[in-house]
Amino acid sequence: MVDYLYDGSFEGLLTCVYLHYYEEPASGVFLESQYQSDLLRPYKCVVTSLTCSDKVYFAIRKKISPLALQNTYYLYLSNHIHKEMLVLEYLKKGFKIGISIDDQHADPLIHDIHILSKKVLAESHRFLGLIRFTDTGVFLYSAIQPDHNILILLGDHFSDRLKNEKFIIHDQRRSKALISSDGIWYITDFDSKTDFPLQKKEEYYRSLWKNYYNHIGIGERKNPKLQAQYMPRRYWKNLTEI
Amino acid sequence: MNQALEKLRILADAAKYDVSCASSGLERKNSNGIGNSKSFGICHSWASDGRCISLLKILLTNKCVYNCVYCVNRCSAETKRASLEPEEIAQITIEFYRRNYIEGLFLSSAVEINPDTTMEKMLKSLQLLRETYSFNGYIHAKIIPGTSSGLINKIGILADRISVNIELPSESSLQLLAPQKKLSAILSPMDHIHNKINENNDLRKKFKGIDKFAGAGQSTQMIIGASKENDYLILNAAQQMYHKFHLKRVYYSAYMPVVSSSLLPVPSSPPPLKRENRLYQADWLLRFYFFKADELIDLSSPFLDLDLDPKMSWALRNMHQFPIEINRVSYEELLRVPGIGVRSAYKIVAQRRRAAVKYEHLAKMGIVVKRAKYFITCCGKYYGKISLKPETIKNALFPEINAEQQLTFWDRN
Ligand code: SF4
Repeated sequence: MVDYLYDGSFEGLLTCVYLHYYEEPASGVFLESQYQSDLLRPYKCVVTSLTCSDKVYFAIRKKISPLALQNTYYLYLSNHIHKEMLVLEYLKKGFKIGISIDDQHADPLIHDIHILSKKVLAESHRFLGLIRFTDTGVFLYSAIQPDHNILILLGDHFSDRLKNEKFIIHDQRRSKALISSDGIWYITDFDSKTDFPLQKKEEYYRSLWKNYYNHIGIGERKNPKLQAQYMPRRYWKNLTEI
Repeated sequence: MNQALEKLRILADAAKYDVSCASSGLERKNSNGIGNSKSFGICHSWASDGRCISLLKILLTNKCVYNCVYCVNRCSAETKRASLEPEEIAQITIEFYRRNYIEGLFLSSAVEINPDTTMEKMLKSLQLLRETYSFNGYIHAKIIPGTSSGLINKIGILADRISVNIELPSESSLQLLAPQKKLSAILSPMDHIHNKINENNDLRKKFKGIDKFAGAGQSTQMIIGASKENDYLILNAAQQMYHKFHLKRVYYSAYMPVVSSSLLPVPSSPPPLKRENRLYQADWLLRFYFFKADELIDLSSPFLDLDLDPKMSWALRNMHQFPIEINRVSYEELLRVPGIGVRSAYKIVAQRRRAAVKYEHLAKMGIVVKRAKYFITCCGKYYGKISLKPETIKNALFPEINAEQQLTFWDRN
């Protein structure tokens, strides 16, 4: 048994799963940059291999199910501190029992995994609405601080929607950004200074929007609890209207 | 600039009582312009009343020649008036959309001179958006009763959803409260739109490249509590419209007593929010749970029970049908159990093909066991622990039936 340390990429994680089956069973999988080594526990740094990760990728899809592949990916994007272990345990079970893995609602592990995977998907869905762009005059810019690493799930949606624009969605928590220009997008490390001077036109549309927002609520039906339930307060910081 | 701010305020204020503002039901990619449309709804923000903001909901104008008693914009009311030009509407929509404030536009209007002149202006706004600005986002256009069919046809090609508000579901209430509106003038455009949608679907099957006509279908809205109609009448009207015109949605809007008139509830009386909520729940049961209106409600007590949700209320009235064995009954029957929803019914059906569903599994499958247990058996065993009398169950479930219940059933589409 050995601890595998990977580079943080999805392919790296799948490479570890491959090694678990074909070299030595894993006692754990950890992020290399955060690993605390311990004299008594053997570990190996894994070099990400696309050949190995591809094999695992297609095996999950064929031998378990496309849904399981999707769950694996969402788990990987989640902020769970032991997400790598969850992925490993999930796949071990999955390869054993196949497609019915996701019907095991009574299994606590599967139950938790479904909840987590749903949370990631739900957050990415939420951000389709909660992104607010500022027009800097050259490109559109948006700052976000999501719980999970969801940038990659936003790419297709916004680059199609804003096909003729250049935009940056900046995940300030992870210092990463989704950058899109004319319908083509990628994700990169990003830590630039981001307080752009507000242009006149930008200020104008912001004030129109705030004004609209403040008037559209029906006073007689005020319901702050419901509002915060749908739109948790931790997201408010990056919203123009509140 | 301040002028635009003021106009937007007036026209948003005037539009806000219309609750039919969801965006969804249509998938469209961006064809080299700006915007696309998603089949699932996207909420962009939530207003102080907890309602989802998806579309820029606004009136073209609130200058009205009609005099509907319940309406803040009626011609005899003293209120600030404003109109937006089609170009202004198009610009605001585009600039809001680029910043991801909104999912699209919901445009309606008061009747400025007559229905057709007003709707011409609406058509102009949509043309600007679709043609000049290449806008591919969602548009919902509200048709004024009395608009000529030629105009409706043009608008239907540009909009994703169109709606005609029925407002009050009887001729007598309309006569009393909206004297210029006739039930027939509301139903005939609904019928026309329904036929156009069908015709368009047939054409699109035969020929390529034909634009969709109101691709996300049509909807309508009824005002609750301004007139005397009971829930029996309202639900039956909704059911008929779903059936006859294949509406995608009927929206129910609790009347906000903003106007003083001897014909209306006095201002400051609370809006019937709970009743509205119950109607939405009943509507949901009509659309997704295979219920019929007269199962949920009958003429002998023509209002929905405010204390119990309509499904629970139905179940308690029909205890002779329970308990049912969840490993045996059909999907449709599962749906009738309080505490079991569409998803959990589906999960039960999927799981029991492999192995019997056990009582301990229910909670994990999303079933509200606390409610459901009185109505089911699981592998032959009844877990309710009390007799199957409606009153005992009601007491066990709702010891303080008058406790403040939270309204969470907003328009989720
Ligand atoms: S037609 Fe009636 S409901 Fe519509 S704006 Fe005019 S007065 Fe109000």
